[in-house]
Amino acid sequence: MAKENINEKISRRDFFKPNFSGAKAWAAELFAEDETKPKETKWAMLIDLQKCIGCDTCTVSCKAENRTPPGVTYNVVLKEEVGTFPNVTKVNIPRPCMQCDQPACKQVCPVKATYKMKNGIVAIDYNRCIGCRYCMVACPYGARYFDFGENYEQEMLGYNSYQTNEYGVEKRERKKKAPVGIVRKCHFCFHRLQRGEEPACVETCLGDARYIGDLNNPDSIVSKLVHSGRAVRLKEYMATEPRVYYLK
Amino acid sequence: MPSKTIAQNTVTPIKTNRVIWYGFLSVLVLIGVYGLIMRMEMGLISTNLTSNVPWGAWVAFYIYFVGLSAGAFLLSSLIFVFGMEKYEKIGREALLAAILSMVLAMMFISLDLGRMERFWHSLVYFNPFSVLAYEVRFYGLYVLILIAELYLSMRQDLIKNARKNDLKGKIAKICSLGSTDLSKESEARDHKWLKILGSIGIPIAIFGVHGGTGALFAVVKAQHYWNSAVFPVIFVVSALVSGTALLITFYIIRQKVKGGRVDKAMVQSLAGLMIGFLIVDIGLQFYEYLISAYSLDHQALDTLAILFGGKFSFIAFWLVQTFIGAVVPIFLYLKFKESVNALLTAAIMVVLGIVAVRFNIVVPPLLIPQLAGLSGGYYFPSSVEWMTSVGVIGFGLLLYSLAVSILPVDLSRPIEKMGERSER
Repeated sequence: MAKENINEKISRRDFFKPNFSGAKAWAAELFAEDETKPKETKWAMLIDLQKCIGCDTCTVSCKAENRTPPGVTYNVVLKEEVGTFPNVTKVNIPRPCMQCDQPACKQVCPVKATYKMKNGIVAIDYNRCIGCRYCMVACPYGARYFDFGENYEQEMLGYNSYQTNEYGVEKRERKKKAPVGIVRKCHFCFHRLQRGEEPACVETCLGDARYIGDLNNPDSIVSKLVHSGRAVRLKEYMATEPRVYYLK
Repeated sequence: MPSKTIAQNTVTPIKTNRVIWYGFLSVLVLIGVYGLIMRMEMGLISTNLTSNVPWGAWVAFYIYFVGLSAGAFLLSSLIFVFGMEKYEKIGREALLAAILSMVLAMMFISLDLGRMERFWHSLVYFNPFSVLAYEVRFYGLYVLILIAELYLSMRQDLIKNARKNDLKGKIAKICSLGSTDLSKESEARDHKWLKILGSIGIPIAIFGVHGGTGALFAVVKAQHYWNSAVFPVIFVVSALVSGTALLITFYIIRQKVKGGRVDKAMVQSLAGLMIGFLIVDIGLQFYEYLISAYSLDHQALDTLAILFGGKFSFIAFWLVQTFIGAVVPIFLYLKFKESVNALLTAAIMVVLGIVAVRFNIVVPPLLIPQLAGLSGGYYFPSSVEWMTSVGVIGFGLLLYSLAVSILPVDLSRPIEKMGERSER
């Protein structure tokens, strides 16, 4: 390179002038929107509250699927009676993790154990979490649970023999190893999504009230319903941009 | 010589007192060791923490001791940076108390970690958006500055002590780090460096260590009660309150134990500072309540309801925080300013009162469920939490007692300018 420049009798000033052409080309490539390339899947969940009958099947199936210990419940159904008799109505709000686009939990984690995956899911690195529980305090939805190491061995023989392969990690015995002593939460059954299956709560919902889908794909049911104008999210004023939508 | 007879007469009581004191502290430490074993064996299930109330006594004590440390250090900076020589006698003690408080704070927060053995993750992995990630690093830097300052302030006395051939001398020899320079110039150099380190330390203590610990809470938008900009300021001011109170307590008690004369003018001046800080603290806390109440947010209002009228509010808020921690000390200062014992009582009460302040910061907001329909919380520290807390505090007092008896914490000679006012 230098030799060529000398042969071309390049001036010293020109030689030392910074040349950004390579960087520019790289940046252009990086920021270019490739219209032909399909966008990556970005998961979102939609729950139709009109269809929800408050049967708690999602909670139960989630517990069975993820084998969560006592006190750890990735999904709950919040049941509220609104109004005074006789003008009362019962509202059931299933609450998984909201997989926020601006997660408060990710913001506060000192060791980056909680992070946002490209597919929209907020994941926890079980091998990195130190169990400081700052994220639990920061979550506006109370969606995070601390694994105190309890188990159902009394009620359910063999409970300790293996754990669910959450986040695709291999099944292992439940001992005093991670995820004991760290924070856990719903991850849209990421291990099932990887296999091409719906999350357990979506699959088992009796009223067919829950949908999972790709918000980047405008033709998906979730996309269509989210943009129907009926969709709301919990605590939108928190600016967390949840990926779980509700149809009122 | 009268002083000799006094010394002879007091040898026996001091010795028995010492045995009782160290025996008492050993019992505390043993209780703590038992609690620690339970904690290690069972994990966090040994606590009364739940997923609803994830933070409890250990976090409260952690911010309490960080506060004590920051307060004590800022007081020491009055001496080493701003040259307020009237407080010279407590300068080294302030630095020592600041270091030990920080050690205790770190012990409390490691007890609180779900995975204690992974504490090093907080140093290796770094989330640039997390306040806590910066905090951890500030703590490290801050402790290093404190240790350097304490070394510089004691260096010459350590060298003098190192000449003796007893245990104290040997430890002094190790602590003097091979320095043997007793010249005036070296002393001036020490003072210059103390000033530089103190000047660096002040912003680190205010914004990094304790303001930052306040920010740790203040940035949490999900907890309305914490989420206000006045919060970090309250932390710093209440740190000054508790730090000053702690030093008054230590100074007077130690003078009494040694049979030395208490510098009443200095104690009165310190007590004035303490009460002044306390009044500012109460004023800022009032604004904090006002901001929460004005938000009309149900979570904030519920927090205030629990704080002022919850199950433990009578003890935690009205009795300890307000009556013992504020009303009685202010009354004692205003009415019995001339009595050293009254000021000592006031200082001890403030030290205790701030514990309740810290508990009232951490626990009440967490008792409120984040969404209507989620189960609410209930929290009272478990026996393991109490035992470990007692043990850690006992351990801290033990370290402190050993340190003051081995290290030259007291000035060997008064500095020139205040020659007349010095005693004995």
